[in-house]
Amino acid sequence: MSCLIVQSDKTLLLEVDHDLAVDCRRAIAPFAELERAPEHVHTYRITPLALWNARAAGHDAEQVVDALLEYSRYPVPHALLVDIAETMDRYGRLRLTTHPAHGLVLQALDRAVLEEVVRAKRVKPMLGERIGTDTVAVHPSERGNLKQALLKLGWPAEDVAGFVDGEAHDIDLTEDGWELRGYQREAADGFHAGGSGVVVLPCGAGKTIVGAAVMARTKATTLILVTNTVSLHQWRDELLRRTSLTEDEIGEYSGTRKEIRPVTIATYQVLASRKKGVYTHLELFEARDWGLVVYDEVHLLPAPIFRMTADLQARRRLGLTATLVREDGREGDVFSLIGPKRFDSPWKEMENQGWIAPADCVEVRVTLTEPERIAYATAEPEDRYRFCASTQGKTDVVRELVARHNGEPTLVIGSYIDQLDEIGAALDAPVLKGETRVKERERLYAAFRSGELPVLVVSKVANFSIDLPEAGVAVQVSGSFGSRQEEAQRLGRVLRPKSDGRTARFYAVVARDTLDQDYAAHRQRFLAEQGYSYRIADAGDVLSGEEI
Amino acid sequence: MSENERRGGGRPHTFTAWLRDRPDSGLDALFAARPDLITPVPADIGALAARAVAKPAVLRVLDRLDRFGLHVLEALVALGDDRLSGPWRAGGDTGTDPDALPDLLEAPAEAVRDTVGHLLATALVWSDGGRVRPVAVLRTILTTPLGLGPPLAALLDELPAEGVERVTAALGLPGGYGAGGPAERAADALARPDRLEPLIAAAGADARGVLERLAWGPPHGSVNGAARQVDVASAVSPIDRLLARGLLIATGPDTVTLPREVALHLRRGRLARRSAAHADSATNSTPDSAPGAAAGPGTAVAAAPGPPPLTGPQHTPRLALRAAAGQAFTAVRSVEELLELWGADPPAVLRNGGLGVRELRIAARALDSDEATTAVLAETAYAAGLLAADGDVDGEWLPSTGYDLWRAAEPAARWAALAAAWLRGSRVPSLSGSKDARGRTRNVLGEGLERRSAREVRVDVLDALAAAPEGCAPTAESVAERLAWLRPRRQGPAYTELVAAATNEAAVLGLTGRGALSPHGRALLAELREGGTLAEASAAEASLAPELPEQLDHFLVQGDLTAVAPGPLVPALARELALAADVESTGGATVYRFSDASVRRALDSGRGAAELTELLERHSTTPLPQPLRYLISDVARRHGRLRVGTASSYLRCDDPSVLAELAGDRRTADLALVRLAPTVLASRTARPVLLARLAELGYPAVPESVDGSVQLSRPEVRRSDAGTVAAGAAEPPQPGPAERAASVRAVRAGDEAANAERHPIDPPGSDPPRSAASHTLTVLSAAASQGRRVWIGYQDADGRASSRIVDPARVEGGFLTAYDATRAAVSRFAVHRITGVADIAAAEPAESGQRSGAAGSRTGPGPTRQGV
Repeated sequence: MSCLIVQSDKTLLLEVDHDLAVDCRRAIAPFAELERAPEHVHTYRITPLALWNARAAGHDAEQVVDALLEYSRYPVPHALLVDIAETMDRYGRLRLTTHPAHGLVLQALDRAVLEEVVRAKRVKPMLGERIGTDTVAVHPSERGNLKQALLKLGWPAEDVAGFVDGEAHDIDLTEDGWELRGYQREAADGFHAGGSGVVVLPCGAGKTIVGAAVMARTKATTLILVTNTVSLHQWRDELLRRTSLTEDEIGEYSGTRKEIRPVTIATYQVLASRKKGVYTHLELFEARDWGLVVYDEVHLLPAPIFRMTADLQARRRLGLTATLVREDGREGDVFSLIGPKRFDSPWKEMENQGWIAPADCVEVRVTLTEPERIAYATAEPEDRYRFCASTQGKTDVVRELVARHNGEPTLVIGSYIDQLDEIGAALDAPVLKGETRVKERERLYAAFRSGELPVLVVSKVANFSIDLPEAGVAVQVSGSFGSRQEEAQRLGRVLRPKSDGRTARFYAVVARDTLDQDYAAHRQRFLAEQGYSYRIADAGDVLSGEEI
Repeated sequence: MSENERRGGGRPHTFTAWLRDRPDSGLDALFAARPDLITPVPADIGALAARAVAKPAVLRVLDRLDRFGLHVLEALVALGDDRLSGPWRAGGDTGTDPDALPDLLEAPAEAVRDTVGHLLATALVWSDGGRVRPVAVLRTILTTPLGLGPPLAALLDELPAEGVERVTAALGLPGGYGAGGPAERAADALARPDRLEPLIAAAGADARGVLERLAWGPPHGSVNGAARQVDVASAVSPIDRLLARGLLIATGPDTVTLPREVALHLRRGRLARRSAAHADSATNSTPDSAPGAAAGPGTAVAAAPGPPPLTGPQHTPRLALRAAAGQAFTAVRSVEELLELWGADPPAVLRNGGLGVRELRIAARALDSDEATTAVLAETAYAAGLLAADGDVDGEWLPSTGYDLWRAAEPAARWAALAAAWLRGSRVPSLSGSKDARGRTRNVLGEGLERRSAREVRVDVLDALAAAPEGCAPTAESVAERLAWLRPRRQGPAYTELVAAATNEAAVLGLTGRGALSPHGRALLAELREGGTLAEASAAEASLAPELPEQLDHFLVQGDLTAVAPGPLVPALARELALAADVESTGGATVYRFSDASVRRALDSGRGAAELTELLERHSTTPLPQPLRYLISDVARRHGRLRVGTASSYLRCDDPSVLAELAGDRRTADLALVRLAPTVLASRTARPVLLARLAELGYPAVPESVDGSVQLSRPEVRRSDAGTVAAGAAEPPQPGPAERAASVRAVRAGDEAANAERHPIDPPGSDPPRSAASHTLTVLSAAASQGRRVWIGYQDADGRASSRIVDPARVEGGFLTAYDATRAAVSRFAVHRITGVADIAAAEPAESGQRSGAAGSRTGPGPTRQGV
């Protein structure tokens, strides 16, 4: 009995407690994406993109088929094997390469495929004159669009046309008091060998450092695109700490500041903003001869940035993400425009090696009082979530939970300011919210980090990318509806490894039988699929001091 | 030799007489090889002979000949023509000495002997005084046997009188009518080798070249103005010289033909040559030579006595088997899934009887498969009688009652049932989606997918694969080559299409894995090849069973509210689990997901929360995650809280706040809710509308019966009442040995009667026998199997009672088929009209005494027997 079961929808079920599970995971990881990782059976999915990623990484169909046949518990349907072999065979029949005389060309190893694609309506205008039987010229500006179009036709092209070096800029890592972890170095090496592509690492595994390591290898001017301003500041701080870059060399390109320096960090938002239908900040891409473009949280990359990226195909591109799964299904664009997956590390292994802290999630259910229920029932639809999410009962529970973890750095996270103010008052803790000045924020963070401030109440401004390494307990009192992304980010707050290696605690306080509980269920499914076990506890039990 | 004696008796020997003299075992073999001859059973040998030489029947058996068989037969047809002249008509006898054939064909004597034996057994040729003669109709079917043209006599007969005269003149024969006609004389003279050789020499070397080109077939050549008037003196071109001497004969305005005798002379004692190296045959653009038919009919290329070898990649037999078994399991599971889907949500029957393209696409998506595969599965389920169209006006495709029986069987048995239905069926699912001659798309389960030869092709393809060693996957080309040898007359685009379809369908159903025939596929083929049926303990089933995943009674429940059954679950558990959770993915394992809705569905079906939890605990190998317990108890707590009435459509709830919530919801305005009491709301909308709207708004409610209890419901699964469909029975059913024996008996008896003076036996004087119905059946069946003659009382359709003496042939479907000695004909009797049956001995001692001998004794001449 082996540990792998192949499903007809091309998912693979891996029994993680099986003796062979570790070997099996290694064998299938190159060509299957981990989709869900609950406690007993992990689900991987074989998609065309995953197979092409495997091809790009040098695996062939025979290896894939052998891995399936070797580890599968049951006979693998023949049709599935045929399908895998055929799909993999489609990658690389076409190559984008540089011709000494004609510049960028599309070269075919299979003439029939070339004949098929040159006749495709969408592809035709991107191609130039035919050079010989197996080669056709490509307009350099269409490099990205062509790859996108070919992927849609099911004939993904291998891009070996190379990259421009860009403007050189000396960047070094300053490894004083810290050093690059093994997997971070591997990720940087993997990327560097390919020149463009995506590095997949779980939250808290130090993606920023991988970015810095890649910059230090490329040694060229770099454009970094991040999700928001907070994250932008964090990147800047990390780069200052980890590399030889100085403040003068790093520019911030956001809603408030428009600096362009050898290393420039910009937000997706500012690039995607339009005035009268025109993208006003496109000049950023042209502002310098960038040698490297880094995309943080590539699974969140908005559509306009994709279009802009299509024109940047001659530059090295690094995508960083925790997951290749996009909720909008544009994985194909990531593949063709940013590049294939260059590195992937299993979350469980990272936890086992102590790079990320294990987490213990508890949902505490608060029952609304009778008058509250009537009020909730009759509330206007748009107010109902706010009503149930900020019920009075939660404050008592939060006070109890914080008291239980006395001495541990604790974050209380919520969405509604009134509620946070109330909790802040009840806990006698400062509240950090949107209106808090940056200076004050940084003071509070510093105090929290140093242990001077044991409890901090934060609004959703703290959702993304704030590095609070010692936060060991997080209490979530209300969230932005059912966003899985937000849940992952909030959990990420407590996943940084702790100095004493203790388990992180993540509490979600929800109101029973309300929208709050429904949303919570959605978020928790995500947690469970990420492998975090969670329990449910009753507020009554918490308040009466029972062990949970 | 009995034939010679008979000839000595002055009676001309005929095919019919030869057939009559065949032993019973010979007739049995004939019927086994040509079952169409006894469907229905012919009245006597004469009728049998007529049927055996009828063109359609002969074509049918010709189509089953392999290339070597056809080759030998062509030789016999070429040499067995009674119009041949000269040395080719040895001693005035027509027919060929079989012992001479191996030399003529340069083929191994043993192979030739076996083949001639087979041709005799199938009555394509018959034996006349030791010489083998083809049945006459073959001459019109095989017009250019071994690339030979018609005999001289036949060609000259067709020429106008002047033409014949010019030939006789060229030969220096006297004109006018002397001994025989001029044509006959010319033919005789031309066919003599001592005369032919000088004639050819006289025509010149270039003319010989022309002859040599036509000698190995095809025998026709095209020239302009073939029917020219030339004699030896006026001849200019080589063709002219040949035409003038009768070495070539014009058979059309632009066609000249090489006479058979001339060609045989040029072939110098051989009938065929080894290879198709005579590329010059291509220059003879003849009307009947298809492109690329260099080795086909019309040329004389020696056929190998055995099929060409199969070549292809060799896989490990184990891996090929695993792939095939995996596919077999997938096919079984997919059919079940498909029928479950259609049981709950049946697709409509199209007006032309098929299944809509859209419905097929939906089904394919549900099965994680493509449309072509889904078509194969649906058609196979239909052929196996698991799926039928509901008889209503707006018909729907529904699983049949047979489906429930099938589903209860073990997976291997289910597979065997599907695969056997496919192998026996004549519908070709792979053709669905293609266009017919009128440009209409052929729909799955619809018209236009029937192919009479589908079954034969499937068996041929599997046979070919079975000939390869285990684990070897012969390439499509090598299979095609083998089939071209095996069925030379079948070749064509339609056949190729069927071969491709059969190969593909066999792979979908898991008969093959990685292109190699699996052991279970082999076993199934062996069981079904000779018209056999699937045995109770089928070898195919036994061979597949150990390869399939075992049925499990446990699963793993996980924190993300999924349950994974790491193999097929025992059906009862699978049903329970499918009720409480939604199936998320299938395959080797099944993944179920618990949700509010799925747990509620289980509760709606009458399961209690505790019962459900207990069931999961019992079968889960992992501890039940706490969130799942919460989910079940949460849903149970809310389940049944809202209740809707029928009469005035009310909505009540023990919890006033819920109703307050509802009444306060702006979205319920269209329901016109009025609060009757803190716990009751009334609505002016009909109950179903109300229920639907509430569910839509996120207040799932349960319907309530008049006495206030909760009405439980579970999703209804529908079945078709229509009986199982015997999908496609174009070919006559393959008769079993008992049936064939009975047919032999019936034909013999009929023959006996036909050749006897027609005086029906007087009905016995005593009253018609009377016996109990069950006794009647027993006696009739016994008589049929023992070949005993019995006396029956029969009440005909008009109610007249009569008594008959009959030789029962078979009893089936409520009818007795028997030779009625009283009427001297084969008749069918309704069993329920047979008033009684008695042993003949009681009524007619003399007759029964004569017939009580061994079966073989009847072949000898009896007292009533006379020559025809």
